[in-house]
Amino acid sequence: MKRPVAVVGVGQTHHTTRRSDVNIAGLVREAVDLALRDAGLEHKDIDAVIIGKAPDMLEGVCQPEQFLAGALGAHMKPLLRVHTAGSVGASTALTAVTHVASGLYERVLTVAFEKQSEGNAMWALSPNMPFVAPLVAGAGGFFAPYCRAYIARTGAPAHIGPLTVVNARDNATRNEHAHLREPMSLEDVMNTPMLWEPLRFGETCPSSDGAIAMIISSGDLAKKGPRKPAWVKSGYSYAEAMWVPGRDQVSPKAGQVCAKHVYDKAGITDPWNQIDTAEIYVPFSWFEAMWLENLGFRGVGEGWKAIDRGDTKFGAHLPINPSGGVLCSNPIGASGMIRLGEAALQVMGRAGAHQVEGAKTALGHAYGGGAQYFAMWIVSSQE
Amino acid sequence: MSKLRNVAVVGFAQLPVVARDEHRTATEMLYPVVRQALQECGVHRDGIDYQIAGSTDYMDGRPFGFVAALDVMGAWPPRQDLHLEMDASFCAYYAWVRMQAGECDTAIVVGHGKTSEGDPQRVLNLQLDPYYQAPLGLDPTSTAALQASAFLARGAATAADLAAVAARNRNNGVRNPDNQLRSPTTANELAQSPWAVEPLRQGYLPPVGETATCMVLAAEGKAETLCDKPVWIHGVDHRTELQTLGARDLSRSAGAKLAAERALAMAGLAKAGDVDVIELMAANPAEELILLEALGVDPRAGKPSINPSGGALCANPVMSTGLIRLGETFRQLSGRAGEHGVAGASRALAHAAQGHCLQTNIFWVVGSQRRWS
Repeated sequence: MKRPVAVVGVGQTHHTTRRSDVNIAGLVREAVDLALRDAGLEHKDIDAVIIGKAPDMLEGVCQPEQFLAGALGAHMKPLLRVHTAGSVGASTALTAVTHVASGLYERVLTVAFEKQSEGNAMWALSPNMPFVAPLVAGAGGFFAPYCRAYIARTGAPAHIGPLTVVNARDNATRNEHAHLREPMSLEDVMNTPMLWEPLRFGETCPSSDGAIAMIISSGDLAKKGPRKPAWVKSGYSYAEAMWVPGRDQVSPKAGQVCAKHVYDKAGITDPWNQIDTAEIYVPFSWFEAMWLENLGFRGVGEGWKAIDRGDTKFGAHLPINPSGGVLCSNPIGASGMIRLGEAALQVMGRAGAHQVEGAKTALGHAYGGGAQYFAMWIVSSQE
Repeated sequence: MSKLRNVAVVGFAQLPVVARDEHRTATEMLYPVVRQALQECGVHRDGIDYQIAGSTDYMDGRPFGFVAALDVMGAWPPRQDLHLEMDASFCAYYAWVRMQAGECDTAIVVGHGKTSEGDPQRVLNLQLDPYYQAPLGLDPTSTAALQASAFLARGAATAADLAAVAARNRNNGVRNPDNQLRSPTTANELAQSPWAVEPLRQGYLPPVGETATCMVLAAEGKAETLCDKPVWIHGVDHRTELQTLGARDLSRSAGAKLAAERALAMAGLAKAGDVDVIELMAANPAEELILLEALGVDPRAGKPSINPSGGALCANPVMSTGLIRLGETFRQLSGRAGEHGVAGASRALAHAAQGHCLQTNIFWVVGSQRRWS
C-alpha cells in the first residue's frame, strides 16, 4: 500500500428477519451513526462515502444509494456504489481502502446493507438468462452441486457440514449482533429438512435485515484517534470468468490467487500458524471446509479434517467465524463487510464476548457470483 | 494541488447506439467492443492489470447482469476486478484512483446495459425514494420537466433557448456515426414537436438506446506504449447531492459546480472556458444550460465547442452515456473524432451525471500534454 491505512470505527446493527422499526434509510443511518460514534468522528470529518449492496431487486429500489445520499451524509461529497454479488461488502470496504491509500482522501465512510424483508431473495437470486436452464432454486440450489463435488473428491464424512453449523451456532451465542443465536446440536441440524442435497435447512444461512459501516482512515489520523485502530496490511478483489473450461468451482483459482496476493503483501507465508482468526464467507455449511483449502489454511482434501478435529472452534488453533458468520446472520450485501469488520474488531481487541484471546492478525474474506468474486483483507494490531 | 501520477486514456471503443440490438445479449454486445479497444492498443488481455464494469441490474431486468461480463472482459486467468452500479465514467474514476494508489498501471473500463429489455421510464421511477417520491409516479421525464420549469422560472433562459440548444446538439450529432439520431433539424421544428412534459418537448429528449463501451486507461510509462497520442487526465472530481427534489434548488446544480471547480483546480485551470471542447451528459437542453451556468460558460460564445459529438440528446445509452463523453474527449484530442473533430483541440472537459435532476456529477479535465512533470 502506498501509505498506511487503518480502520478507526466499526458500527453494526443487530441482524434479524425483519427490522420493521426502521425503513431502509433508517437501517443504514443506524450503522453509520454507530461507526462515527465508535471513531469519535462526525460527518464533517468524512471526505467520501463508498456504499455496497447486493442486487437491487432484493429491496425493489434501483440504485438506492441515490435516495440514501442524505442518510449517508453524502450531500456534496463523492459517493460510489459497488456491487460484486455476495462479495460486495468486502469489495466495497476495499474500495474505500484504496481511496485512502491513494492519498486523495483522508477518511472514507464505507457502508453495506441489505433489508431482505423488503422483498423475496429466492426470487431475486433466481435469474432467468437466455440459453441457461432456470434453476429457480436460489443460491442454495446453485451451490449444492459444488458441495457435492467437494464431498466426492475428498471423501469427507457426511457430518462435517452439520458440525460446521454446530460450531457457528455456538459462536453466535456470544455475539449480540447475530441473527440466529440459539445453539444447535449435531442431531438438531441433522433433523432439519434436506433442501438441496447435501444442504439441509439447518445448514443454510438465514435471510436477514442488517447494516454495517466502517471508517477507513489514513494512518496519520488513525494514530490521533481515541482508540487503537486495526491496520490494513493488504486487501484485494479478484474475479474469474464463468464459462472457462479450466475453471474449478470447488476451489476457484480467483480465490487462490487473491489469497496469495493478500498474504504476500502482508508478509504471511504460513497462514495456518500466522493468522490468529479468520472471518470467512460461509453461507452454506460445506463452504467452510472448501475455503480452508482454497485459502491455503489446509492442504487439498484436508480442510474437513481440521473441522472434524475441532481446530476451527472458538478457543482452538484457528477460530473460524467467532461471530457465528454468515450461517448465523446474512444481510447479503452487508455480509462481506461484516466479515472484514469482525476481523478488524478482533485485532482491535474489541470483539466483546466473542473476542479471540490475543488476536493480532486476522483475515476477512467474502465471495460471490458463481464462486467467481473474491475479496479479502488482512488486518493487524500492529502498524 | 500536490503532484499526482499521470494517467491517460489510451483507447476507446463503442458500438453505434441503436434502439434495440435484437440479436445480441448485453454480454455479446460487449465482446467486440473489448476486442476492438484492446486490439487498437496492441495489447493482449494478459497485459491488463485491472478491470471495472458499470451496469445496473434493473436496466438488464435481472440480477447479476455484470457477472456474465466477466467472460468477455477476459477475466481468465483471474484478474483484479470491480463492478459499480453506476455509469462507467465513475468506473473510470475508480480505475484512476487505483492508479494513484499505485495498485495498477493498466485498466479496462466497460459500460453495458440492455435498455430495450425494459422500460427505462418505469425503471428510473424505482430510483426515487420508495416511501415519498416513487409512489407519486414520477419518471425521469417528469422530474426533468420540474427542473426545467424551475430554471425557466428563475429567468435564466427562455423557451427559445431550450429549442436552440437542442437543435445545436442534434445538428452536431449528424457528423457522429455512433449516434442514434443523425437527421438535421431546426430549433423551429423541435419547438413545434409535441410536449413530452411541459416545458420539455419530445424533440428536446433523447430516444431510448443501447450500446456497449470499453475504455483503456494506462499510467505514464505504459500509456505511451499503447497509444500514439495518449490523452492525459489533468483533473477529476465527483459530487452527489440529496435526492429529495424539494430539498435542493433544482434551477442550479451545486454539486456540478463544486465538482467542476475542484476538477479545474486539480488541472491548474482558472476557468472552464480555457478548454477547447466540453462534452456534457445532458439528457435535455435545460440540463445543459444548468451545467454550463455552473461552469461559467456562455453557450453562445462559440468557444469552447460544446458537445461536438451531439451529446446525450443524440444517443443516451444508459450506463455508457457518461463514459462516451470521456471517450469523445479522447477522440477529439487524439485526432480520432473524424468529421466531428474540433481542429486544434488540446484541452477538454468531460462530464457525466447520474440520478434524477443532475443529482450526481463527475467532471474530467483532459489534455494532450502530461499534467505533472
